[in-house]
Amino acid sequence: MLGEFEYLLLTAATRLGEKAYGATIRQEIEDATGRPCSIGALYTTLDRLELKGLLRTQMGNATSQRGGRRKRMVRVTGKGAQAASDFYEAVKRVSRGVSWETSRATVRS
Amino acid sequence: MTQIRWWVVDVFSRLLEPAEREVVLGDFADSRETSGRALRGVLGLVARRQAALWAGWRPWLTAVGLIVPLGMLLSIVSRRTADGSAVYLWLYANNWDWALTTNPGFWSLLAETGVHLLVWYLTLACFSWTSGFVLGSASRSMNRINGVLMCLMLLFGALVGAPRYFAFCEDYLHRTFRVAALPDYNAAVFDLPFYRVLLPLIVQGVLVALPAVWGLRQGLEAVRFRLPLRISLWIAAVATLAAMVIQDQAFWLFLNSHVVRAYRQPGNWLGWGIRLLQSVVFWPVAYLVVREVGRRWQRRIA
Repeated sequence: MLGEFEYLLLTAATRLGEKAYGATIRQEIEDATGRPCSIGALYTTLDRLELKGLLRTQMGNATSQRGGRRKRMVRVTGKGAQAASDFYEAVKRVSRGVSWETSRATVRS
Repeated sequence: MTQIRWWVVDVFSRLLEPAEREVVLGDFADSRETSGRALRGVLGLVARRQAALWAGWRPWLTAVGLIVPLGMLLSIVSRRTADGSAVYLWLYANNWDWALTTNPGFWSLLAETGVHLLVWYLTLACFSWTSGFVLGSASRSMNRINGVLMCLMLLFGALVGAPRYFAFCEDYLHRTFRVAALPDYNAAVFDLPFYRVLLPLIVQGVLVALPAVWGLRQGLEAVRFRLPLRISLWIAAVATLAAMVIQDQAFWLFLNSHVVRAYRQPGNWLGWGIRLLQSVVFWPVAYLVVREVGRRWQRRIA
């Protein structure tokens, strides 16, 4: 089972597709959550997910915008997409019958 | 302030693997990160990477088995070298008299002392270089943090470790051999703050820390050598470290008190062996010369 941040990262990378690399994934997560995303958490999580076979990374081309430095391009694998989907389904299932519209949670009978 | 922060970011990013450093600095440029946020980011990543490395047993073994004992031993040898040379330096620098230069005996004694000091300093630098070499060969993935830890250990050794060790040795001598306290013949030298405080730190920095870091970098390169050459280098390194232990008087005091009373019987088994060790100690000089000649030769061929 994925962790919350792992799910966010896989989803952001999937949405970005060919443009998924460190800086864009980070921006995507920050825009979605409204919270800062540390580069330490990002790259250690990328390593962990790659080790689990949920994504693959490779060094991309250098650009002048990056001061001639290369990017670490990210691509979600089939196994990663399945893990993210399983996580999302689990969140949907556990949320069934729960409303977060008021400040206090209520359970519909 | 911003420029200083970026400089600090650059310095700390060197603790990352080169490829990761390139990616991270590129990301900062790409997203036009502020210097403060970049600094927090790089510090966080370095902390996470280092913490991950320390999760295994090897870094702990390297720290406990190599960095602490080598750092302490080097600090002791360094302090003894600094104190020993302080007496000679004081003799010449603080008591200089031009009239002495007309005396032929003065020049021969000066030359003899100069050679003596050079050999001491070279021996210390070789001990330090070898220690760094061993450390660099033993743990490649953590070479930067090991270098930092070694320097911290040397600083601790210079300020706390070595002075306490000598105080302990003196106390041990009095208790074990009931040796009466001798008058301090060198009080005039060590009353001066330069010889008491500054010179040991200079010697520790120039003849210990710098050669150790140099040796550490060379040790990293040496892992690419062929096995027979690596074995030869390791034999020379182990012999040098053995010589560093053996030359310490506490080693002989320990032998005398607890093992074979070797102190009173300087047996034949010691003589040639020690002389051989004394020459092996200078192997880094031969190694560096041969390497440099080899490099130049290869460049000429290319």
